[in-house]
Amino acid sequence: MLLAGVYALVAVGLTLIFGVMRVVNFAQGEFLMLGMYAAFWAFTLWAFDPYVTLVGAIPLFFLVGLLTYALVMRGVIRASHNVQIFTTVGLSIALQNVALVLWTGDFRFVRPWYYSMVLHFGTTAFNVSQVVAFVVALALTAALFAFMRWSYTGRVMRATAQDREAASLMGIDTDRVYALTWAIGIACAGAAGVLVAPIYPVYPTAGLQFVLLAYVVVVLGGLGDMAGALLGSLIVAGVEVGGSYVIGTAWKEVLYFMLFIAILLVRPAGLFGQRGAERLGM
Amino acid sequence: MRRTDLGAIVLFGAAALAPLVVRNAFLLDALILILLWGSLAVAWNVAGGYAGQVSLGHSAFFGLGAYAAALLGTRWDVSPWIGLIVGVALSTGAGLALGYLSNRLRGPYFVLATIAFSQVLLIVASRWRAFTQGSEGIPVPFRPGVWTLGFSDKTPWVYIMLALAVFAYLVQRYLEVSRLGYLLAAVREDEDAAQALGVPSRWLKVAAVAVSAALASVGGTLWAQYVGFVDPFYVFSVDLSVRFALAAIIGGVGTALGPFLGSILITTLETYLRATFGGIGAGFIGIYLIIYGTLLILVVRFVPEGLAGGLAARLVRRAPSTPA
Repeated sequence: MLLAGVYALVAVGLTLIFGVMRVVNFAQGEFLMLGMYAAFWAFTLWAFDPYVTLVGAIPLFFLVGLLTYALVMRGVIRASHNVQIFTTVGLSIALQNVALVLWTGDFRFVRPWYYSMVLHFGTTAFNVSQVVAFVVALALTAALFAFMRWSYTGRVMRATAQDREAASLMGIDTDRVYALTWAIGIACAGAAGVLVAPIYPVYPTAGLQFVLLAYVVVVLGGLGDMAGALLGSLIVAGVEVGGSYVIGTAWKEVLYFMLFIAILLVRPAGLFGQRGAERLGM
Repeated sequence: MRRTDLGAIVLFGAAALAPLVVRNAFLLDALILILLWGSLAVAWNVAGGYAGQVSLGHSAFFGLGAYAAALLGTRWDVSPWIGLIVGVALSTGAGLALGYLSNRLRGPYFVLATIAFSQVLLIVASRWRAFTQGSEGIPVPFRPGVWTLGFSDKTPWVYIMLALAVFAYLVQRYLEVSRLGYLLAAVREDEDAAQALGVPSRWLKVAAVAVSAALASVGGTLWAQYVGFVDPFYVFSVDLSVRFALAAIIGGVGTALGPFLGSILITTLETYLRATFGGIGAGFIGIYLIIYGTLLILVVRFVPEGLAGGLAARLVRRAPSTPA
């Protein structure tokens, strides 16, 4: 259940990019994987604690985001959905395999001193790293919410999300908004990766398990809807816990994919999304 | 569009003659794979190119075909030909269901639904140990004979894959020149307008997905019998679905010859890199896939119409009198 925080962080990044840019980023999981590797190398080479790495990783991944936007996304921002989909899929394949070639497919582990520490809340016990990941991820998500809600830049981003043409006519530099959106989305994924590094093994396709879940979360909450993503991640984490309790861990994935397909069929716009969005491919 | 058929005759003719001249098993293997991956790219193209139903879950149908024949063969000693038919029946059913249920979804929503579909099958195949042997996969035993699809030589495989490739090509040509093809084109270009004119867009899309699924399933069965092993994490992977799409995109989406041109390019690249970096598993696969991902980004950005589309455009520009 504590993973809800991490799901929320990944999903909010994904949904922000979709909401503003109308692009489903199929490479989001790979940036999360790179975040895990960043935590691993900083820990192994320089003995940096993952939570120290996090402070540096957020601006680093923001820069990585700006760079990938300039190199890859800028050229396809006005192209058709299919071009955008295959661009991010291509990016995902390339990044995954850069990791494979550089760092091999071995499972690697980050084991800080507190790794086996357990906190007790009443009768249940929680791993310290999970609690920290939950709290920090929720704090970052909240910060992003506040940024989008109250800052001038956040308002500009929301305006662009609502109507690209009108925003452009009002003198908003949409290209800069997209670059910023993309970079923030990538920074969310990178931060989530650093946070889960002490909990999960690090390997080139490690991002997949999180990003598949993030899709479920995002569609559940309504693509492009940030509050929906937050609530969606709570629901998915709940289903996950309930599912592994009732039908066993081996089959719980089937459960949330079924949930996913069911939502796509019954209410593709998600719980909070605009109805009819799926028909326009919005 | 006669130019396409001429290209196809040259391509398939060369493939038919190759086993008579070439005795090198490595080259014949490459040829077999070019024809197979080409046919699978066609399967994707029927839904993604001709009907505009872009899927990243086509490995689901490939895997159904592979598993149907492998399971029937190892458990009940049934011929892979019957397995092939069972696979086609299953995949057509699944294609109809997927096509029908996700009919209202467009753009990224449809893509997400297809990915989820293939992931569900992956989980079932890799977790249902009692029936599918779970994540260990299924070795397909070698039983000599045409009825059991066991050949000690590569030549029969060339002709089997060639037959599949020619059939797949003809399906696409039918979708270009028939009334059905024009209706599909109308739906693809502007679904709302087509529907307003009375084109049964819903059924056309469902039918295209079902045909596409059946073709992918045949490819899956033949692949499993040829390679001799079914691994759930390979046959149901998203990477495999991307591979089908990639060959079609590089070659030219919605063109009949395109998937084969794309397959020639990426299969040759793969075979070449395998020969160069042979042995070091991770290194080879990694470098191959880095190129593959980068190629995908570059092609959709700079030559979205693909090799066949790009060439055709250039030829038309050079000789304006050529009928398009």
